[in-house]
Amino acid sequence: MAETRFIKAVNQALSDAMEADATVFLIGEDIGAAGGSFKATRNLLERFGPDRVRDTPISEAAITGMAVGAALTGMRPVVEIMFMDFTTLSMDMLVNQAAKARSMFGGQGSVPMVLRTPHGGGLNAGPQHSQCLEAWFAHVPGLKVVCPSNPADAYGLLRAAIDDPDPVIVVENKALYAMKGDLPEVPEDRERIEIGKGRIVRPGRDATVVAYGAAVAMAESAAATLAQEGIEVEVIDLRSIQPWDEALVLESLSRTHNLVIAHEAVEAFGVGAEIAARMADIGFDELDGPILRVGAPFAPSPFGKTLEDAYRPDAERIVAALRRTLA
Amino acid sequence: MADLVMPKLGLTMTEGLLAEWHVTPGAAFRAGDRLFTVETEKVANEVEAEADGVLAEILVPEGETVPVGSPVARLAGDGTGAETAPAQARDARPAPPLGAQDAPSARKLMAEHDLAREQVPPTGRDGRVTKGDVLRVIATPLARRIAAQNGVDLQQVAGTGPKGRIKARDVKGAPQVAAPAPTGPAETGDAREIVPDAVRLATARRVSAAKRDIPHFHVTHEAELTALTALRAQLNAEPHAPRISVTHMLIRALGLALAERPAMNRIWAGERIIAFDKANIGMVVEAPDGLRIPVIRDAGRASLDEVAAQARDLAARARSGDLRPSDMGDGVMSISNLGMFGVTSLTPIINPPNAMILGVGAERQIFRPDADGAPALRRELTLTLACDHRIIDGADAARFMADLVALLETPLRLLRPARRTADPTAGE
Repeated sequence: MAETRFIKAVNQALSDAMEADATVFLIGEDIGAAGGSFKATRNLLERFGPDRVRDTPISEAAITGMAVGAALTGMRPVVEIMFMDFTTLSMDMLVNQAAKARSMFGGQGSVPMVLRTPHGGGLNAGPQHSQCLEAWFAHVPGLKVVCPSNPADAYGLLRAAIDDPDPVIVVENKALYAMKGDLPEVPEDRERIEIGKGRIVRPGRDATVVAYGAAVAMAESAAATLAQEGIEVEVIDLRSIQPWDEALVLESLSRTHNLVIAHEAVEAFGVGAEIAARMADIGFDELDGPILRVGAPFAPSPFGKTLEDAYRPDAERIVAALRRTLA
Repeated sequence: MADLVMPKLGLTMTEGLLAEWHVTPGAAFRAGDRLFTVETEKVANEVEAEADGVLAEILVPEGETVPVGSPVARLAGDGTGAETAPAQARDARPAPPLGAQDAPSARKLMAEHDLAREQVPPTGRDGRVTKGDVLRVIATPLARRIAAQNGVDLQQVAGTGPKGRIKARDVKGAPQVAAPAPTGPAETGDAREIVPDAVRLATARRVSAAKRDIPHFHVTHEAELTALTALRAQLNAEPHAPRISVTHMLIRALGLALAERPAMNRIWAGERIIAFDKANIGMVVEAPDGLRIPVIRDAGRASLDEVAAQARDLAARARSGDLRPSDMGDGVMSISNLGMFGVTSLTPIINPPNAMILGVGAERQIFRPDADGAPALRRELTLTLACDHRIIDGADAARFMADLVALLETPLRLLRPARRTADPTAGE
């Protein structure tokens, strides 16, 4: 095992995928000569050349449209959208083209593309560079959405996304890019992670916290806090948001009988709402407390540090939610 | 305007069934007139007017059970509530008393589940409690599931969650009730369902609570009755004297035993102890519609004849349904004699708030070895004392039984006053 960082794991996954499959190519703004705004594509232009690492103008709709077209012809494009906030401009291509192609062509075609994009705050980047918009994509039939919480998952989920025959949105929390973790040195040992499967990060008896991305570490911290009081919290890393591991969450809820869902995205109409609604349905008789969500308030992300700190969910708020449902 | 309320007719009465109205709305009545009949667990009582008045409106129809203190009717003018009437009379539209407007079905349910009105958040118009408000149990889905599986009545479970919400932890330790029969016997044709009457329901609830809440233990003792039988025969041989039964002699003996051992003349009343000055002893009487337990007063001081007169009168009135509220309550113990049916012994359930009950079996002739080991014919009676262990320990009960048996075996003492007691705790 070699220590790596989240962003390097992304770079490794791209590099390994390009090595393994000649149809994989990268396209985006500043990804070539500049190596990516967050250095996810560093040195890849030098290794794979300008045909496979394509710098583009600032034109997210065109970038995504090119990727959809290339994917329909059998290529495996990996788009980088510099901030998730800018995926608004990619929406038509993703929602009306990429997501629909398989169904509209009667299963005779598919769009094996990946769109990587960073979400999340903590960098004082303000309302237009901090948003977590994954729920929008998860709402669209035909799109898959994954969100890794650590370097190994970043690698494994990205490789699985590139292999996947359908369009996958890979959401990376930019506050995690510097996160350290391990990745096997031998390329064959680096594993893909199945899309649609979650993972129990920490087993527990008294309550379940379902989280993804940066919220997983917050949930683990919350669990550690409550463990000092003898409250054992189970933490599930969802890994994959669409499809999500309903069976795992239900199984956990059936043991702990209390559920909290935590994410950095705005709480209202979010991923947590969907999970809560499903569990209130199929897990109703297991519930011994209200299903609670921890997310950002219904407001744009503020610029200033103090305000943003107050805005972003943290371990304390997960602890408070757990106490409330366990009351 | 004033209200008639459900009276409290005994130490432990919590609710009463309004069995019958004797006045109609708009009718005037005089002090002493019968207004309505209340049935409680043990007795039907006539409630009489304390002063003249006019009945304005009946709030509780016949057949409804309401908690003690609930308004049952409204009086016109200044009726019986003379002291409060002037102030209220000036008020053109007096606010209805709390609970008076509640749905009758809701009041009945509250009574059935021992819920105080304050425990039920009202949702009806003008703050009325509806049936749904009483039936509504706030419990988590898991708690409901466990309750259903374990046969727990959630109405009886106190929730420890927010706003009194019942959580799984509250249900797990809750007492179970019999699960409802999966198939109604009414459907099979082999059996049918009968709705129990108020007395049966009240008895069922009362004995269930007694057996559940009171930690019973029992001591059994045989009493040799040759002397007592002889004395009784002598007493009853007098042509004009009141007839004395074994039960009368047992009650008198219990009175003496209690008078001489005042530490036993106490009941447990929920973290408090109530000590009685007199030895009042309940007597279980079978009335046509169920059991009644009228109380013989001061059996420690009353003579055997007085005890017999009281007991005969109370038994007759219990059978005819003419017991008064003052005929009940304030007893430390009761006696239940099934000897006339030939049973060997009876292990009875304490009648709350009593601390004891004596079960009496039939007199039997039996051979016992005498001093030389030869068979001697004796007349014996098996006495079983059920005790509330919260206030009585085993040795107390054994000593009390030994006293009782000694009195029965040297029965002339039943004709004497109680000995002065030297019990150090007597003056507590």
